[in-house]
Amino acid sequence: MVEVTFVQPDGSRITVQGETGASVMETAVGHGVDGIFAECGGAMMCATCHCYVDEAWAERTGEPVLGEEDMLECAAAEQRATSRLSCQLKLSGDLDGLIVHLPEEQA
Amino acid sequence: MAVAPVDDTLTLAELTRDPYPIYRRMRAETPIVKVPAANRIFLTKAKHTKMVKDDPELYSSDDPVTPMRRAFLAHTLMRKDGEEHRRERMAMQPAFSPKVIKTDWADLYRTIATDYLDRLPRGETVDLFTALCGPVAARILAHILGLDEVSDADMQRWSQVLIDGAGNFGFADEPFERSDAANAEMDAVFDSLVPRHRAQPNNSAFSVMLNAKDPIPMSQVYANIKIAIGGGINEPRDALATIIYGLLTNPDQLEEVKRQEAWADAFEEGVRWVAPIQASSRRVTRDLEIDGIDIPEGVTLMTIQASANRDEDLYEDGEVYNVFRNKAPHQAFGSGPHHCAGAHISRRTVGEIMLPMLFERFPDMRLDRPEEVVWSGFGFRGPLNLPVKLN
Repeated sequence: MVEVTFVQPDGSRITVQGETGASVMETAVGHGVDGIFAECGGAMMCATCHCYVDEAWAERTGEPVLGEEDMLECAAAEQRATSRLSCQLKLSGDLDGLIVHLPEEQA
Repeated sequence: MAVAPVDDTLTLAELTRDPYPIYRRMRAETPIVKVPAANRIFLTKAKHTKMVKDDPELYSSDDPVTPMRRAFLAHTLMRKDGEEHRRERMAMQPAFSPKVIKTDWADLYRTIATDYLDRLPRGETVDLFTALCGPVAARILAHILGLDEVSDADMQRWSQVLIDGAGNFGFADEPFERSDAANAEMDAVFDSLVPRHRAQPNNSAFSVMLNAKDPIPMSQVYANIKIAIGGGINEPRDALATIIYGLLTNPDQLEEVKRQEAWADAFEEGVRWVAPIQASSRRVTRDLEIDGIDIPEGVTLMTIQASANRDEDLYEDGEVYNVFRNKAPHQAFGSGPHHCAGAHISRRTVGEIMLPMLFERFPDMRLDRPEEVVWSGFGFRGPLNLPVKLN
């Protein structure tokens, strides 16, 4: 299991255990975390699972995958250097303890 | 292992009139059922419709016998999978993004909404469906697509003709004759607009596609615009009419929506309650099994999101319009790679702009005889009229 912490725009935090290989989006949806809509189910077609990777983790999560950047430009909230679609962030041992921040709006 | 049960007696006419009691029975008794009248296997549970939409490898959008191809005279992105679909879709997606809506369109939409509300008489009964819902949806879409010069009437007519052609499963001649004529008209208009969009690049879908660094072929630019015309008027029109009906027939909810300014919730509940696009098709790419039922390769499944959106697994009292119900994700915009590209736009145009402006302008409007509202449609559904007293 891999620990992931979601930080809401108001600063509240929820920490959950995700399966290795699952995406951060699936982990959020599976645990009923507010603020991740994931309307397209992980197909990289909706930008409603937008998150900001915590600065301290940004290097380990790497660069957006091919096509992700285009979709991020369609996100409802401001796009930052740490913006990712959480459906494209796969959990691995390396990411145990990952912290992601949720945007003000998704749709 | 079992073959799907067959519903031999069900007709498309019954589904068009009122599918909801039928779907409720199917969810309870035969959630996966073959319907010879539609030549499809219906899936009526939310978990099944979502699973199918989310897996384009097993459930392809590419239907080799779709009348859509004939109607549009093109193989459109609606019926493509994978990279080919993504490339064509992403070519116009920027025009539909929340950012562009904010920077380019929101003020224009408010002006359009004001303009169309100004035309409505006060103190009379008006059919809001034809006087407001259709025209305003057409005008907004014309701007998003870069077809500012085209009239509301032409936009609505083209849209309906394309829909009729795409739904012409019996391949009758007449609907295709009309769609051929409309295609010729659209092509001529598009040709005439290319120079303007090249000379003055803007954030409309047409201009974004034309002026892209690595543009898709012109034939697909045209096909994309046509898909957006066919798929971008009925849905906001029907959503708006459905939500107005839901609020006017539930005055207590309307008061609470006004008090909380919960227009976004009123919108989401409306499209959940009566999804403007009720059903979609997917072709099965190999022999498989869904919940113990054999599904052979090549079969066409119909995901009934109208039914998924009232599934008892997710919703208590799903048959009624209730803005303040416990939230659960609905599938009115679909799921998976073909998730509605216009979802953001409809939320903003209908939910954030049209609804509050309409109810602010006519705070005491009434639907005196809701029983006179005629609902219709199997593939697309909504009211056909909305006689509202405006005051």
